[in-house]
Amino acid sequence: MKIALKAVAHRPPVILLFLLVLAVLAFASVGRMVNRFHQQEEALARHLYERGMKAQSEGHAEAALGAFRAALSYSHDNFQYQLSLARALRDSGRTAEAETYLIRLWERTPQEGAVNLALGRLFVRQRVFDKAIQYYHNAIYGVWPSDAETKRRDVQLELIEFLLQHGAYPQAQAELIGMASASAIDPSLRLRYADLFMRAQDYGHALAQYQQTLRTDIHNQGALLGAGQASFQLGRFRTAQTYLQEAVHVDPQNASAKRLLETAGQVLASDPSAPSISDAERNRRLRAAFLGAGDRLDGCAQSRGIDLSGQSSSHDLPSDDLPRLKAAWQEMKPKLPKLSGSHSDSRDQHLPDELMSLVYGIEQQTELVCGSPEGPDQALLLLSQDRAGVER
Amino acid sequence: MTHAFESTAPKPTLESQEGEDGSAANIESRYWFTLSNTREERFFLLLAVFIGVFSGLAVVCFRLAIDWTKIWLIGPVPEPHSWRLIVAPAVTSLVVAFLVIHVFPLVRGSGVNQTKAALYIYNGYIPFRTAVGKFITAALAIGSGQSLGPEDPALQIGASLASALGRRLDLSRERLRLLAPVGAAAGLAAAFNAPISAVLFVIEEVIGRWSAGILGSVVLSAVSSVVVVRWFLGAEPLFRIPAVGLVQPAELLAYATLGIVGAFAAVVFAKAIAYLRPRLRAWPHWTRYFQPLLAAVGIGLIGFLGAPQVMGAGYEYIDQAMHDQFTWKMLAILALLKIVATTLSFVTGTPGGMFAPTLFVGAMLGGAIGGLERHFYPALIGSTGTYALVGMGVLFAGFLRAPMTSVFMVLEVSGNYSIIVPVIVANTLAYVTSRALQTTPIFDILTRQDGLDLPSLEEQREQTVLRVEDAMKAAPTPILNGGDSVDQALQSMQDLPGDFLVRLHPSGWRSVTADTLKRLVGEGKGEMTLGSALVTPVLPYLHPDHTLETALRYVYQVPFVPVVHRADFGQLEGVISRDEVLEKYRMAQRT
Repeated sequence: MKIALKAVAHRPPVILLFLLVLAVLAFASVGRMVNRFHQQEEALARHLYERGMKAQSEGHAEAALGAFRAALSYSHDNFQYQLSLARALRDSGRTAEAETYLIRLWERTPQEGAVNLALGRLFVRQRVFDKAIQYYHNAIYGVWPSDAETKRRDVQLELIEFLLQHGAYPQAQAELIGMASASAIDPSLRLRYADLFMRAQDYGHALAQYQQTLRTDIHNQGALLGAGQASFQLGRFRTAQTYLQEAVHVDPQNASAKRLLETAGQVLASDPSAPSISDAERNRRLRAAFLGAGDRLDGCAQSRGIDLSGQSSSHDLPSDDLPRLKAAWQEMKPKLPKLSGSHSDSRDQHLPDELMSLVYGIEQQTELVCGSPEGPDQALLLLSQDRAGVER
Repeated sequence: MTHAFESTAPKPTLESQEGEDGSAANIESRYWFTLSNTREERFFLLLAVFIGVFSGLAVVCFRLAIDWTKIWLIGPVPEPHSWRLIVAPAVTSLVVAFLVIHVFPLVRGSGVNQTKAALYIYNGYIPFRTAVGKFITAALAIGSGQSLGPEDPALQIGASLASALGRRLDLSRERLRLLAPVGAAAGLAAAFNAPISAVLFVIEEVIGRWSAGILGSVVLSAVSSVVVVRWFLGAEPLFRIPAVGLVQPAELLAYATLGIVGAFAAVVFAKAIAYLRPRLRAWPHWTRYFQPLLAAVGIGLIGFLGAPQVMGAGYEYIDQAMHDQFTWKMLAILALLKIVATTLSFVTGTPGGMFAPTLFVGAMLGGAIGGLERHFYPALIGSTGTYALVGMGVLFAGFLRAPMTSVFMVLEVSGNYSIIVPVIVANTLAYVTSRALQTTPIFDILTRQDGLDLPSLEEQREQTVLRVEDAMKAAPTPILNGGDSVDQALQSMQDLPGDFLVRLHPSGWRSVTADTLKRLVGEGKGEMTLGSALVTPVLPYLHPDHTLETALRYVYQVPFVPVVHRADFGQLEGVISRDEVLEKYRMAQRT
């Protein structure tokens, strides 16, 4: 009987069944052990991770890297640890390794906003701008576990900062227009958008954002100053003057507002085409502009050692035009008394325009040769840039 | 064809297994051999899967044991200038030495040669105690910072488990002998998380030959063990592979340099072990308690003074090397220190493997050479990670002298075939250079130091093979045709002595003598064709490229064996007899 049982026990199907049962039991035992081991590893990894975070916050980059690495060696798949290590690597300049890490994370979770953001920042460091923008966009449209709206907005603002720093104004403007079109925006955020529009040289949108801010907070110093600056840049000196006066009123210590206000005032006081001034005042402004432009021309030529009496054969350089402008100015000067003629027949109807065209030409050309002017010449130069929009 | 190419594998015989008492074991043994060959093979394949599963489970436990030992003994993040790095390995080494000397005497060294010896000398017998002992002592040694790896011990643990299972099932000696490499492949695959490399290594280094009979079992066990390990520990590779690739063809010169330098490093490494091991073993027996202590203190000092990277298997540092975390100078120093540390650990008889240290040295050396070359030719050279990866293969080829495994190992670990050309160039140069500088591979040196003589695939590869075409002679004329009548044949033979060949249609050969033909004529069969009149068996035949070893199986049965063209079996190239074969062997012996 015993022999027969043993013979049955040695039949291949019985042996295989026995091995199968044994394997299942061994699997269960090892599984429990591995689970316990993993739990202990997780605890150890957490401890090391916290040590790494502490080291990072204290500025010990190498210690932080070591701790993050050790944490990951005990918790290989932990997304947060991997991301922290990748960020630490990136921030410590080990971009190649950071890229390997992040790309592997990205392959696992391509939709994850944090990974895309980290990759975007990495490529910014590596100056691979196309990829940086691509990953920033991925991050903006990616998945964020909590407070998604704020995080997406912060990423977009970071992208805009990056674009502005690299002179990609049209792209920055496009991003900003999208962001600013939302209806319910916090005034402080709108003010930030407006500032960014200013930096992106989109003064029209900047002014609109400042104005919207002022609708909710009429005395907002930043918005007043910004609106004044935006109007100024748009050549709307009357509007700029209004906002800047208010800004200086709110904050009399603001030197830049004062300076800008002064310039705007000079522009408005120099404009001979202002609608509500008398003929005498207009003529005075014309004469002053003409004489001032002549002085500016002489001063510029003298500072650059240019002989205004000589004839230039070429017009390749801005300075080559100065003798021609001087000749035109001298030719025009005898006509100056005609401005004050009492009879219409003695007045040349086109003289004011001719005078101002020459004045604007001189101001623009001398700016190219001698740099930006100050005072009345700056006002004339600003006038030359947008003759029609001054009073808007 | 039927005669010459039948399988010559020895079949198990009932007599060889049956005892005298008719006990249950013998009833069972009898049962095995009443199974058809196919069913037995099928059972063996299933058994291989179970061996893989159990080996995988054992390796999972082994890896956990190493990790925990490391955490408890030298800490989760070994830091220089910590006394723990000296004290913990030193104390543990004394424990390990005691266990090796008094409890598990068969667990010294890596385990590869022990497994090979089990296959060739002990009929596949490896005591189960060896698995237990290897598990405990290797985990303690590696975990405490000895510069050794877990792969070779895992190989031996797998082989030992397989052997124990085979013995429990009372398998035949032949099957039992095959189980050791099956278990070895499973253990190695599980430890290395790379089934192809494990299979190739076992074939190259343990079995020493390609055999269809065992290949299926080895592959199944390797794959099933890897599945188990991945189930529990995840599918993550041992190290993260950065973006790798060949920058431009001219970069192959840089890889060639790596291959040659790697070969020199491998030879230094091998010679250091070959020189020191017998000398330390010649020391008085009592010193064996303290030899591992010597290694532990030396390695601990290296760690204490600023290079804890050389302690333990070091996979995490291979990972870091591949990601440009060390300068090329630091990489070179680590390679050198690892050679020193591993030599110390290994020659003192501490249980542990050489796989991981070899990969470590290769990665560091590769990274150092890549970094140095990039310093001078920044536009020409690719990433350090690529060089570290190729460097691992280089040391594998140069030190362990497993060229096929070295190539596949790199490809399998990296999962990237774009670097196959650099890998082949560097590994081939490393292998050839290393062979030129040191004829005997390290594993063969170790077996000979242990007083064993095991077959070496490398030696077999390099042996001159004698072939039939080297020994055959012209066939005796005339050649008779099966369609000729007996009378015609007798007339053409003209009473010449000896055997003559008869070509049969459509194919096949027989031999005949003049006496036989005369007898047939006397029996009144003179009008019959030779094909119908002759009743002698059809002769086996050979081809010119067959080895003389193959020819030896047949030349004893018949006066001579026809050697025929492979494309036309009726075209006779010559004949070969026992005398020619023996004469050729005698000549080869003399030369």
